[in-house]
Amino acid sequence: MRFPDYLSLSLRSLRRSRVRSLLTIFAIVIGATGITVMLTFVTSVKNLTVASFVKTGQIRQIQVSQSTDMRYDPTGASGGYSNGLKSNNAGSATTTPLTPALEAKIAALPHVTAVAGMFRSRMPAISNVNYNGKDWVVQAVVGYQPTGAIHPLLLAGRDLIAADTGDQILISKSYADVMGFAGKYDTIIGTKINLHTNQGYTGAGVSLPTQLPPMIRCKQNQQNCFGGPTSGMPATNIPATIVGVLDNSDGNDQPLLMLPLNSFLAIYNQAQPMRVNYSFQQQQNCKPGTPCPPGNGNGGGDGGNQMPSGPGVVEGGWNRPTATAFITNSGGFDSFMAQADDISNVAEVASAISKFGVGTTTGLKALNDQKAQANIIGLVLGGLGLIALLIASLGVMNTMIMSVLQRTREIGVMRALGARRRTIRRIFTIEATAIGFFGGLIGVSLGSIFVLVAKPVITKMAKSGSLTGATFTVPPWLMLTVIAGTSAIGFLSGFLPARRAANLDPVEALRYE
Amino acid sequence: MDGIQLSRVTRTYTLGSEALNALNNVDLNIANGDFVAITGPSGSGKSTLANIIGGLDKPTSGTVTVNGQDLSHLKDAELSGFRNKTIGFVFQSFNLKGDSTALENVMLPLIFAGISPKERKARARECLDRVGMSDRMGHLPNQLSGGQRQRVAIARALANKPSLILADEPTGNLDSAKGAEVMQMLLDLNRDGITLLVITHDHDVAKHANRMIEVRDGLVHEAVAF
Repeated sequence: MRFPDYLSLSLRSLRRSRVRSLLTIFAIVIGATGITVMLTFVTSVKNLTVASFVKTGQIRQIQVSQSTDMRYDPTGASGGYSNGLKSNNAGSATTTPLTPALEAKIAALPHVTAVAGMFRSRMPAISNVNYNGKDWVVQAVVGYQPTGAIHPLLLAGRDLIAADTGDQILISKSYADVMGFAGKYDTIIGTKINLHTNQGYTGAGVSLPTQLPPMIRCKQNQQNCFGGPTSGMPATNIPATIVGVLDNSDGNDQPLLMLPLNSFLAIYNQAQPMRVNYSFQQQQNCKPGTPCPPGNGNGGGDGGNQMPSGPGVVEGGWNRPTATAFITNSGGFDSFMAQADDISNVAEVASAISKFGVGTTTGLKALNDQKAQANIIGLVLGGLGLIALLIASLGVMNTMIMSVLQRTREIGVMRALGARRRTIRRIFTIEATAIGFFGGLIGVSLGSIFVLVAKPVITKMAKSGSLTGATFTVPPWLMLTVIAGTSAIGFLSGFLPARRAANLDPVEALRYE
Repeated sequence: MDGIQLSRVTRTYTLGSEALNALNNVDLNIANGDFVAITGPSGSGKSTLANIIGGLDKPTSGTVTVNGQDLSHLKDAELSGFRNKTIGFVFQSFNLKGDSTALENVMLPLIFAGISPKERKARARECLDRVGMSDRMGHLPNQLSGGQRQRVAIARALANKPSLILADEPTGNLDSAKGAEVMQMLLDLNRDGITLLVITHDHDVAKHANRMIEVRDGLVHEAVAF
């Protein structure tokens, strides 16, 4: 007997008990739809994670920290901070400063293609971002070496590259949002902004005077007032051009600016006067928060009730440390990001770097952790769907047992007409498998429609989240697996009833009323 | 060897702890082309006899040979093949598939025989034509009268060109006019050389037979022809 004949006989009997068949199929549909939808979401998120790790090169990254207990941070933007704590304060962990010298050693290791140091602003220099006449407070500024080892996650624009020695800047999404570019991050690229410095700023873009304006005395608890010999110098604006918007929606949502390390150092490695010769004035004449009016000084030092109030004369010129000295004196880089030449060498490179007494975490491990998490969620959700399917399989079995009972006489007739046991068994098995197959087919179709309908809603919900860019399409392998799975469940559920049908005594079956 | 030979055939059913001999050491020879009526009271074993000859049942002991084939040693697949090719069954209650047309019902044994769709359609048409049902081929059984249904059933029995037709009370569910029509049809088939075994209570049916066997308490007796 040919397969199409089996199929036709099986489908015909499904059609005959239409309502019963449809109800049984419907039970399978529920499970199949559930599995399709849930696993599609899990898979989409997982694929997105992998794709982003691969695309940005994170999969080959090794993040180096002063201390061991480090959370992997793909942008490196938290730079040396873990769970809000600077890693070198973390308990008993041994720390090794991440100096430029160490960076050179890491760069010289085999399989290392690039290393980049990341340095986070410690001393204030930039107070506000200014755009279109409005100001927003700056909290964190990070400089990194655009060697290709660090790949911040971006919503729009591009990474910093080695050629970026000018005013290029990456801004966090939160800045773009307040600047009025929410949801249209591409359009902010190329926009000029100003980085507004604090008063007393002596970094790049300022001509260093020989005579300092009077110092500012800070009120108690006054914010953004830093005092010091140069505090009377006026604030200035440093122009910058936005080349990328950081996707800092993965929980690390503090406003952040990122600059090429050289530009960063030009701003933050500020010059200090070698020596200042002050004139002094009685303190009672000074109003807190305002420059002291010029007058005749009558004392020295800034102790007691008096303080030096400009103008002061700079003697011996200005001192600006070298970049290496500045970084080393500041306690080293906050973190390094090293990149291995191949995924297979990531572990080896990480281990070699660890021997320098520093902490390492790898993107690969982070990716595997994330994948494992997604797999667990997938297993739990898929398990729920599977339970639904198992319950449905009881329905299939019940339907098939009913069908065998109802068709006992027909089975007897078919046996009399020459059907073998095997033929009867196959007819019923195919019938049960067909229930599973159609259940799976309809389930996958409904699931796909659901995903299609839900996609805009979820994309909208996820617009501010890390799900942006997830495809949310049902992968073909999932479709095939679900249909194959429900067919298998149908087959297994139909196996016993089919065997029972095949083993019926034809004489008894023919006598059955 | 042609024809049907039963040698010392016993068929025992066990009902609880009691063994019941439906057939008891039966010896019987039926020649090819014969028309044999099997009669006897209910429960006498005549259906068992027919089932054993038709390969639906196996004897507890003894041998059954049909056209030289010893049925007692055949496996399920071979026995199914035997029923498919050699026997045509006609039942009292027609036993047509309710969801299939007359044509599809007749094609069923051809499907089991593995005959190609084109050929089985042609042969089914031919058989329906032979029983005068060619104008009702697309009808479902419930659109046909009792007599028409039995004719479709006979066409189905003929599909694989059997050498033996086993008819169990073929006119039992029909009025006498339709019954006579069906009987005539079976007689025509017998005249064309097909061996005919009819189980019947009906003397009008039995009288057409050229041999009558009475089964009583598991034993067969050659009965006097009417």
